[in-house]
Amino acid sequence: MRIPRSVLASAVLVALCTAPSSAQRGAVPAATAATSRIPRAADGKADLSGVWITGALALLIGDQEARAIAQADAAAGRRPPLREPPPYKPEAEARRQYYLSRRGIDDPMARCFISGVPRITTRPLPFQIIQMKDQVILLYEAHHAFRIVPTDGRPHPDDIEPSFNGDSVGHWEGDTLVVDVIGFNEKTWLAGVGTIHSEKLHVVERYTRDSADTIRYQVTLEDPDVFTKPWHMEEIFRLRPNERLREYECIENNEDLQRFEKLLEIDPALRAR
Amino acid sequence: MPLTMKANPLLAGPLFALLATSGVAAHHSFAAEYDGMQPVTVSGTVAKIEWTNPHIHFFVDVKTDAGSIMQWKFEGYPPNMLVRQGWKRDVTLKPGDTITVSGWRARFDPNLGAAREVTFADGRKLNAGPPAGTGGQ
Repeated sequence: MRIPRSVLASAVLVALCTAPSSAQRGAVPAATAATSRIPRAADGKADLSGVWITGALALLIGDQEARAIAQADAAAGRRPPLREPPPYKPEAEARRQYYLSRRGIDDPMARCFISGVPRITTRPLPFQIIQMKDQVILLYEAHHAFRIVPTDGRPHPDDIEPSFNGDSVGHWEGDTLVVDVIGFNEKTWLAGVGTIHSEKLHVVERYTRDSADTIRYQVTLEDPDVFTKPWHMEEIFRLRPNERLREYECIENNEDLQRFEKLLEIDPALRAR
Repeated sequence: MPLTMKANPLLAGPLFALLATSGVAAHHSFAAEYDGMQPVTVSGTVAKIEWTNPHIHFFVDVKTDAGSIMQWKFEGYPPNMLVRQGWKRDVTLKPGDTITVSGWRARFDPNLGAAREVTFADGRKLNAGPPAGTGGQ
């Protein structure tokens, strides 16, 4: 199968962005010097609480600090996040290519919709984790969004209405918080332009505090309508000790929809596809 | 100051590759509205600033070679991202300030651009917006 140029370009960028070598890939270590120093809650579980930001470091904190973090990662031998292309069925891949050909003007995020899971965690805006005994609260600066994740063993409710961020329930596996998310609408993209899904989307997130200042975030996405197999992705969350969440009201002055209308008027190539 | 349009070495090469992210968008796909193959640098006087979400906009009066004034509009990061990179509303950028802006041209408006970096009168430089290609894959 021909690999789209955009995918190749992304792969090259990721390779350049994420030294060191793939030889260092492997499972998150269960107990290392780093994990023995991670903060712990009163009940002994790894404490995920704090304000975190994700991989889009340069966008949020600037080139200089992002470069310093990249160098520190390389020096520490930190394994780079796993990147896989989405394993779409041919019809879904054709739809993704259509959205790519329209240069992302159909992006739900450009309409200020809540970004969905896992995309909301990759926004270049911080989020806060508040860990409690029987639940974990996720507060996102983007779109004032929040998620409440019960960890007391209860199942998903039986009256879920499809939503942008879905319904989450969690449990602990050692130092890893595992969150099961279902009940999505079809109005979000998963990770970049055209990464569509159906209402059958099932997301499993794993939050592992693998050092004092990082969480390794591992995601498995299943959707029998669009994927041929589960799609795995990873991110590294960075602790921001002196950061606080601020307000981000996306619809305040969003000019993009009018601009897209203009683009469609002047660019027949967009309309023809 | 004369209108200048030239390639900015900051906008290409290994540094760009280091900082680029895959599939990550501040708000919308860069490529939707801007042309990463069309870098632009202009110098002029700040006329107005819209300190708003999901993007700030600032307007720069640029004197053309013919002597007339051409106003450019630039889009930048939202306030929350600028604040975290050292910007402060009403302090960092004010009407009347002389600045140089580097970025890329819009596809549909000849006087609109995506700002990447602003150089202030005292020589300081600050990022104002994302690298080309961000979010568009």
